[in-house]
Amino acid sequence: MNLHHNLFPGQAIKGGLNLLSLHAPRAGLLRATCLAALVFLLPSALAAPRVPTDPAEVLERLPIRPGDTKAREVSALRAAASANPEDAVPALKLADYWYDLAMARGDPRYIGYAEALMTPHFVHAERGRMAAVLTLRGQLRQYRHDFDGALADFSAAIKADPGFALARAWRGAIHIVQARYAEASADCEALKPLGGKQGTDTLSAGCTGLAQAYGGQLAAAQATMERALVRATDPANRLWLHGHLAEVMQWRGDLKAAEKHYLAALSLNIEDSFLLTSRSEFLLDQGRHDEVVKLLSGWESSDTLLLRLTFAETALKLPIAAAHRRTMRDRFAAARARGDTTHQADEARFELQLGGSPARALELALGNFKDQREPRDARVLLEAAIAAGDAAAAQPARDWLRATGFEDPLIRRLGAASLAQTKAKPAAPAAQGAKP
Amino acid sequence: MSARRFLVAVLALAATLLTALPVSAHKASDSYLSVNVKGLAVTGQWDIALRDLDFAIGLDADGSGEITWGEVSARHDAIAIWALGRLTLARGGACEIKVTEHLVDTHTDGAYAVLRFAGTCPSATQSLSINYRLLFDIDALHRGLLKLDLDGVTHAAVLAPTTGTLAVKAGETSHLAQFVQYLVEGVWHIWIGFDHILFLLALLLPAVLLHEAKRWHGVATFRKAGAEVLWVVTAFTVAHSITLTLAALQIVTLPSRWVESAIAASVVLAAANNLFPLVQGRRWLVAFSFGLIHGFGFASVLADLGLPKDALVLSLLGFNLGVELGQLAIVAAFLPVAFVLRDTPFYRKIIFLGGSIVTLLLALVWFIERAFDLKLLSG
Repeated sequence: MNLHHNLFPGQAIKGGLNLLSLHAPRAGLLRATCLAALVFLLPSALAAPRVPTDPAEVLERLPIRPGDTKAREVSALRAAASANPEDAVPALKLADYWYDLAMARGDPRYIGYAEALMTPHFVHAERGRMAAVLTLRGQLRQYRHDFDGALADFSAAIKADPGFALARAWRGAIHIVQARYAEASADCEALKPLGGKQGTDTLSAGCTGLAQAYGGQLAAAQATMERALVRATDPANRLWLHGHLAEVMQWRGDLKAAEKHYLAALSLNIEDSFLLTSRSEFLLDQGRHDEVVKLLSGWESSDTLLLRLTFAETALKLPIAAAHRRTMRDRFAAARARGDTTHQADEARFELQLGGSPARALELALGNFKDQREPRDARVLLEAAIAAGDAAAAQPARDWLRATGFEDPLIRRLGAASLAQTKAKPAAPAAQGAKP
Repeated sequence: MSARRFLVAVLALAATLLTALPVSAHKASDSYLSVNVKGLAVTGQWDIALRDLDFAIGLDADGSGEITWGEVSARHDAIAIWALGRLTLARGGACEIKVTEHLVDTHTDGAYAVLRFAGTCPSATQSLSINYRLLFDIDALHRGLLKLDLDGVTHAAVLAPTTGTLAVKAGETSHLAQFVQYLVEGVWHIWIGFDHILFLLALLLPAVLLHEAKRWHGVATFRKAGAEVLWVVTAFTVAHSITLTLAALQIVTLPSRWVESAIAASVVLAAANNLFPLVQGRRWLVAFSFGLIHGFGFASVLADLGLPKDALVLSLLGFNLGVELGQLAIVAAFLPVAFVLRDTPFYRKIIFLGGSIVTLLLALVWFIERAFDLKLLSG
């Protein structure tokens, strides 16, 4: 899914730390076991090959139009990188550019370009460039959900250059997503004295605030982020803080305050798919489907946003909903065929609400929870387990709730409901056995 | 409904329909490679995203940001060379493949060039190895989604930079199975080889008759007719086995137009000999001499089929025996009926004379067509 989960705010360092995309596609990790069957599913998603008759027929529109600013920047960077293939500096510049483009547009092809470009440099990173090269490799690895490999890279980068804030921020982000809040807080703290440039402060506050929120201290999280918001001037930082404060206020049950923060974030007029995802989930929870359709029209190319749009369209019984459900199914099939499991959380939600297979949803949600343990990952696991009538399977989510003390009443209710179901469960076979 | 409100409703509907058009998703790069290997023969289809092709070799000639069919077809040769240079199929040595057709298709993330290809491998039985290198040098997240059918058994794999090489074991194709396969091909090709059947029938029609004192008589015994047939068929078989083997092993090769014309001529002469008997009693000699030519004809069929290097003799033998079995089936069906009817005017006039005349005319047309490269009959 192309959810750009900007874990931390800020354009503070190296053109921005709003880079972490922990829900972004993982394209590696081949799961040979399940692939064979999946590749055979492909033809259903394909049309029939044809020979066009009109030479002027437009078959494809390129994402970067020649002549626009992006195209000029790309070709200049590509020329510089290929002129000195041995030199890591121009390669790093181009790879960073590809990486940022992937984040901005939610397009994983650019991640592939960056990785291919950097592969020779990963082998022979120069001493002075070690931290930057290793950090980039870590970013590319986390994109594929190779979190262990990414952590190793960020740690190595910090060792090579303890003052390299980017690596520190990334490591903290991965700790947060994987629910290791103590380790995360240590990295957030270490960010404080680094830099001193405008925005570094927001970065550290975002890191700390998120660890607090997920770790069951919503009031403290709110205070941390609100303090940072007062000082933040950069629009991207303000967007991040408003967006996350909205979530915190929603979890605290103050929907009015949440609404205010969402509107403030949206009024900044910066395209940000994390904000759109979070906002549309907020609206869906309140049954404000019309507003979701309005908010997400034009974002169909993003799988994550199309899924939320389809939920709203289905609820409103719009004619287009059926076509979008088909499209979602095809896209999930195409991703699975290449061994991509980064879509598990969204696919679980799709199966749960639209696909009609709670058992499959549960399987996917469990797979996802192994990698990622953010609130929305726990929620889909709990909901899928309850729907599938296998509440015992949601144990990892209940463990997470107990360990963190996460305060969202909705998720806590789901946890309690699933626990009640596991206790009620043993009675069921007995009742059946009593039948003649 | 007022006109204005109607217009608004129509526009809303149009907007709905427009957004219902498939929207290309953002997705990492994949190519879809389907390979079908049966014995020596390889066919397949390879779908490669136009966006990837543009990034790798450039398609947008006019720099408009749009790729048209004209721009793609102008680059067909370059696409084929670039793609096939990044795929190695080997079975007992590298298989030679060529792109046979260029099409386009749409997948979830946009338009794809579709390359259909065909070729042959050196071995029909060994394991198949695939080395896939498309785009890996410029896109590390690229994957090749392979669907392979190897001698009827389907395999699937995702080819990645670290897993771009794959060896797939062939199912245990025993030598016996291979022998049977070529035997069946042999039977099949005598049955669909109309000119061979007609030649044989032209020689067999008079087998139940005897030409004495410028008149045809029925032979006395079935045994006599059977002996004649045995001689003819054996001579034909021995002769074409010799030339088939020589041609299949590429010891002797003749131009196919020459061979095909000579085969047609042989049918003309065999039929003419029934109408104006010249050669009597030594019909086996006719069968033998023309059989030499027909052997070259069978060889061209075998060349299309391909002979596996590791089981050459066995396959050749199987094919040859198949041709014999096919012939024997024709003889077995023809001889008893002809023997029973040999003294009837129906056999003499309609089957023997009429059949010979029709055969002669038909073969004459074939000869003219083949020798002068003309088209007289359709099909």
